[in-house]
Amino acid sequence: MTARPYWNPYLAGALLGLALLGAFLIAGQGLGASAFPKRVLAVAGSEVAPQWTARNPSLGQYVEDDSNPLRNWLVVEVIGVVLGGLIGALSAGRLKATVEKGPNISVRGRLGYALGGGIIMGFAAALARGCTSGQALSGGALLATGSWIFMMMFFAGAYAFAYVVRRQWL
Amino acid sequence: MSDAVFPIVFASEEARLLTAILLGFLFGFALERAGFGNARKLVGQFYLHDMTVFKVMFTAVLVATVGLYSLSAFGFLDMSRMWVNPTFVWAQLIGGFMLGIGFIMSGLCPGTSVVSAASGRWDGLVTFAGMFVGSFAFALFSDWFPILVRLYEGGSLGVSMLPQLLGLSVPWFILGVVLLAGAAFVGAERVEQIFQREQRPVELTPEPTRRARRYKFGLAGSLALVALVASGASAPRVEQPQVRAVEIAPLELAEAIIAKNPGLLILDLRSQTDSPGLVIPGAIPIGPDHTAVQYLQGAAPETVVVLCDETGTMATVPTEWPQKLDYRIVAGGIEGWRAEVLTPIQAISSALAEREFVARQNQIAGFFSGAAVRPAAVSAPPVVSTLGPKKKKKSMGC
Repeated sequence: MTARPYWNPYLAGALLGLALLGAFLIAGQGLGASAFPKRVLAVAGSEVAPQWTARNPSLGQYVEDDSNPLRNWLVVEVIGVVLGGLIGALSAGRLKATVEKGPNISVRGRLGYALGGGIIMGFAAALARGCTSGQALSGGALLATGSWIFMMMFFAGAYAFAYVVRRQWL
Repeated sequence: MSDAVFPIVFASEEARLLTAILLGFLFGFALERAGFGNARKLVGQFYLHDMTVFKVMFTAVLVATVGLYSLSAFGFLDMSRMWVNPTFVWAQLIGGFMLGIGFIMSGLCPGTSVVSAASGRWDGLVTFAGMFVGSFAFALFSDWFPILVRLYEGGSLGVSMLPQLLGLSVPWFILGVVLLAGAAFVGAERVEQIFQREQRPVELTPEPTRRARRYKFGLAGSLALVALVASGASAPRVEQPQVRAVEIAPLELAEAIIAKNPGLLILDLRSQTDSPGLVIPGAIPIGPDHTAVQYLQGAAPETVVVLCDETGTMATVPTEWPQKLDYRIVAGGIEGWRAEVLTPIQAISSALAEREFVARQNQIAGFFSGAAVRPAAVSAPPVVSTLGPKKKKKSMGC
């Protein structure tokens, strides 16, 4: 099956907006992604070092009561994202085991950048209490002040460092 | 409004969790359709030859915002039950900037890294794995370095909304953002055209046909229209008709008491603990809880209900009180009563009208305070005027 083109950005954006609106209306909260790693860490931490986890400023909030931190709407939602991404790629012929990179970088170099970026984003999302999904998209739609600050600073940070890492992409 | 349909209240948490699968699926599907499973497509935004990130993100935000506030304006949605990210200015300022740096390195954000991994991209999987390391690093460092906790909790504004912070009305703010976004979409497409001379967007990017270019106008236009209609709906609202208590001058009330007007019901709304003995004769002490319905239900339709509180600030009558009665509030409250009725005054000019007024006022003051200002004040002063129904007299100044 030949890969089909992506959707018009405004149509894809409208569908994304409807998914977000659906989350607000049905679950009373927006969409997210970075809660997943934090909650997995909270579970792992409460197994290995329960006291340290409970009083940790970042992870403690997830183990305050006795309920399982993974029995959470955002955690289940990320599983849905995996399925949606998989079915979406499959149905458009875009499912392919590959590494997306520019022509001037090795696969190993690209994966190094990906790991470094992932680590920085994990740290940043923990600090900001959310990522582009939970803050920029969900909080942005609610017109929350901190989310709009986050959104502007996200674009500022990426534009500021785009030239530094251009070798990876161009 | 607790009778709003949304957000839905589920019988069990399991039922609510099931909806997460469906909405997560839609989220992932929409991201994939936009091309956000491909890191090269995403970074085009920051080398200016492919503005898809901006277009998709702002379209999504505006669709959701307009949807939320319109449904709220029409009473279908109770925004007070919505979970809103609290604002921590410094944490979100620095966290946002850092996340931007991480994004341009990975080419993916946390959510899109999941979609990228799900569509087979190893870089997506590695990015998502890095998220765990970074989240753990933050947990560890926040334990080691207290300054990080101060940053994490720095600049707390609680649940803060942008329109309220800027002092703008929500519907007009949204309308403004929608129109601004429409213009920004046009600008973004100009920028793309310029930078596409040097750098082509990734394969599978749809060719912008004439029809596709019009989508943004249709979208921004319809969102603006919905926002405009909702702004009209949110203005009048389904409000309970409020009964206002018209001010009555203390002297006018005093005359009515002296005249023993039938159908005069005086309710003392002050809490009993801080009433220092000063009361209006005949007033029923009901306290500030407004539990006066039993006195009001049997009242004749033309009853004049005079309310007295501490300072005369209560302007509207509780909605559970019968609305057909004539409500008055003593101007200035009990202090107004003290100043105007209980305090004798001195005549300043020698005009006949004023001399008469002063004499009358002092008669009243003597009657209510019991002080013998004039010999005549020992007995009730003769009735001069009566309180007409629903006629508001200006408080007389002297």
